Amino acid sequence: MTAVQAEMVTVRVFGALRQAMGQTEVRLPCAGATVKDALVQLGQGCNGDVASYIFDKQGNLWRSLMLLVNDDPVSDALCQRTNPGDVITLLLPLAGG
Amino acid sequence: MQTSRGSTGCRMRASALPPWTRRLPSGNGGAKPRVEFTDDQIERYSRHIILPEVGGDGQRKLFAAKALIIGAGGLGSPAGLYLAAAGVGTIGIVDSDAVELSNLQRQVLHATSCLGRAKCLSAKDTMEALNPDVRVIPYHERLSSANALEIIAGYDVVLDGSDNFPTRYLVNDACVMARKPLCHAGILRFEGQLTTIVPGEGPCYRCLYPEPPPPGLVPSCQQAGILGVTAGVMGLLQATEAAKLILGIGEPLIGRLLLYSALDTSFRDVRVPRRPDCPVCGDSPTITKLIDYEEFCQVRWSSTDQVGGGCDCGSS
Repeated sequence: MTAVQAEMVTVRVFGALRQAMGQTEVRLPCAGATVKDALVQLGQGCNGDVASYIFDKQGNLWRSLMLLVNDDPVSDALCQRTNPGDVITLLLPLAGG
Repeated sequence: MQTSRGSTGCRMRASALPPWTRRLPSGNGGAKPRVEFTDDQIERYSRHIILPEVGGDGQRKLFAAKALIIGAGGLGSPAGLYLAAAGVGTIGIVDSDAVELSNLQRQVLHATSCLGRAKCLSAKDTMEALNPDVRVIPYHERLSSANALEIIAGYDVVLDGSDNFPTRYLVNDACVMARKPLCHAGILRFEGQLTTIVPGEGPCYRCLYPEPPPPGLVPSCQQAGILGVTAGVMGLLQATEAAKLILGIGEPLIGRLLLYSALDTSFRDVRVPRRPDCPVCGDSPTITKLIDYEEFCQVRWSSTDQVGGGCDCGSS
């Protein structure tokens, strides 16, 4: 593993976010940052629409978003520090039936 | 937990019955229904009866069970067909929509000849033609705060195949309040999500998603599309969960959210905890009766919108 890879955090998205981002996951060199900072970085690295799926106008995480780190729900723990190799998963509900 | 293996190699519980089976009147904890099979029924259900996990007693539980399907659309169609084929004795189906041409790419309960017909009536005819043992009760109305508890009260298990957030929160809250098991699925484009909600045993829909997305953020199937077979996959998984709950076998998807991607052909499930501060199923609920779900979701239906279904795209 290279030094750059060691600092990577993967953000995996589903549902409408997948369509908005045009991809299923991105890798960010932000290990050590908080989960919230990683998501801010995600929003800044993508087109303007993506951030609006994650944060409201006050910068708070939408309560309709399920946030997992390594498959553990952390929606109430945005200050948690990320570690190299962490996978952050963002889920939006699907209303279709 | 002590387990054993049946002759089919399936893992079975050998110790105490799962607690959720006691919640189903037709489940292991209820009085055993006394139904004698006809010769035709023995042949029709022979592939069930031969399964050690089902057997004659399990088939009787299916006969005695009452399942309610919300929406005769992309999810409700496959779920309804298979529950009917399985011999679930009473199936209620709620839908206020009429069959439209754009439904037929995935809503397999309805034929081209049914265009313009009420979906719940088309569904009833299809399911009863498939299996005359089954009684289908159509509800040609929109599920609402005014009728949800009364309708749900008559059933053992509910399957949510609606297509809009107000109905999804309504169904969740009504099932929690009525303490009815709920098999939830949602779909969009090439993806699906599935979970089983058993009040008192795990999280509810609000524990997963405390609030709906703001209007316009998450598109509907009408806006973003849906691969028809994705609806089929998820509807059948819902029906599988319902059948398991009725039979009292296996491990239902309580406290887990299954994510399906048709493009990746991948299934993942993530553990989701119950929120002690959940306003409906938490330790100190603050929502103890049904609310105005259109207001909660910031959605307003026009008088011409049909829901069974949904506001954006019918049960589409």
